Amino acid sequence: MDFKSLFGRRSKSSNIATQRLKLILTQDRFDVTEDSMKKLQFELTEVLAKYFEFTMNSVSMSLKREGNSYVLVADFPYQESSKLQ
Amino acid sequence: MGKVIVITSGKGGVGKTTSTANLGSALAMIGKTVVIIDADVGLRNLDVVMGLESRVVFTSMDVIEKRCELDKALVKDRRVEDLMLLAASQRNRKDDIKPEQMYDICERLKEAYDFVLVDSPAGIEQGFHNAAAGAEEAIIITTPDVSAIRDADRIIGLLQNQNIDPISLILNRLSPTLVRKGNMISKNDVLDILNIDLLGIVPEDDGVIASTNRGVPLVHTEGSPGADAYMRIARRMTGQRVPIPEMREDNFFSNILNWFSRN
Repeated sequence: MDFKSLFGRRSKSSNIATQRLKLILTQDRFDVTEDSMKKLQFELTEVLAKYFEFTMNSVSMSLKREGNSYVLVADFPYQESSKLQ
Repeated sequence: MGKVIVITSGKGGVGKTTSTANLGSALAMIGKTVVIIDADVGLRNLDVVMGLESRVVFTSMDVIEKRCELDKALVKDRRVEDLMLLAASQRNRKDDIKPEQMYDICERLKEAYDFVLVDSPAGIEQGFHNAAAGAEEAIIITTPDVSAIRDADRIIGLLQNQNIDPISLILNRLSPTLVRKGNMISKNDVLDILNIDLLGIVPEDDGVIASTNRGVPLVHTEGSPGADAYMRIARRMTGQRVPIPEMREDNFFSNILNWFSRN
């Protein structure tokens, strides 16, 4: 147990840095604006929402390097109870 | 036939020149024949970090413009056998050299030396492209901060487009104390983000400043954490299997804190 978390300190700056970096690099690698990323995410969510139940604000997308290319990784954490219709 | 490796980072000030000087020295200390090339035309520094500034007579520009033979332009290191420096011209500009000319120099040097390390200038312009022109492998230097990692990512993309492989990473100036406190991006997060092989970690070491003041690369200071790290990296570069140790905090108080947080 970390003492600092006992006292409810604000989030660690290293976590903030890592999150910021992931977002920055996804935009850099994609070469798209934050707006179009959000639009893409929204439209993907719309399509998937027809089949799965999940909370919109838990969705995240990033571009991951795999060898010499990039892979788009989209996380749509869906609820256990929902079934493919 | 040796290897040509470009040492680069994108961002300036993260330790490219220090790393080139130390890895060149370390490789020579373990018996390899090495040339280190300063590719930072117009802003040369590798000669200063090596303490060889007073011995530079000719530069790569003199070789390209045929004012002297390649082997005459190489400056012999003062401390280690079989370590040579090819200095950059201070009076020229980065685009005075063409990638083909740099490629040609690297090709000729690798015939005679085990390792040719090219110290790249910061940035992604002509100077970087020249530095990478003759290289088949790359070492990326980054520090654990947002700007350096972002620039490293950009550079990795550019090197991959040039089919440079392998590209490996040195994480420089890592402070285990700051990582523990949650104020520095950890090794695992850097690797997760950049997704390339880790060649080694160099801990933050005050000794670097004194070693640059003196013009004596850190690897000559026995027992310094930075020197040990560079020696291990050099051995890995020669194909030896040397594990990357977990970074430890070395003061008594933080060890006690560590003990508490483990329990």
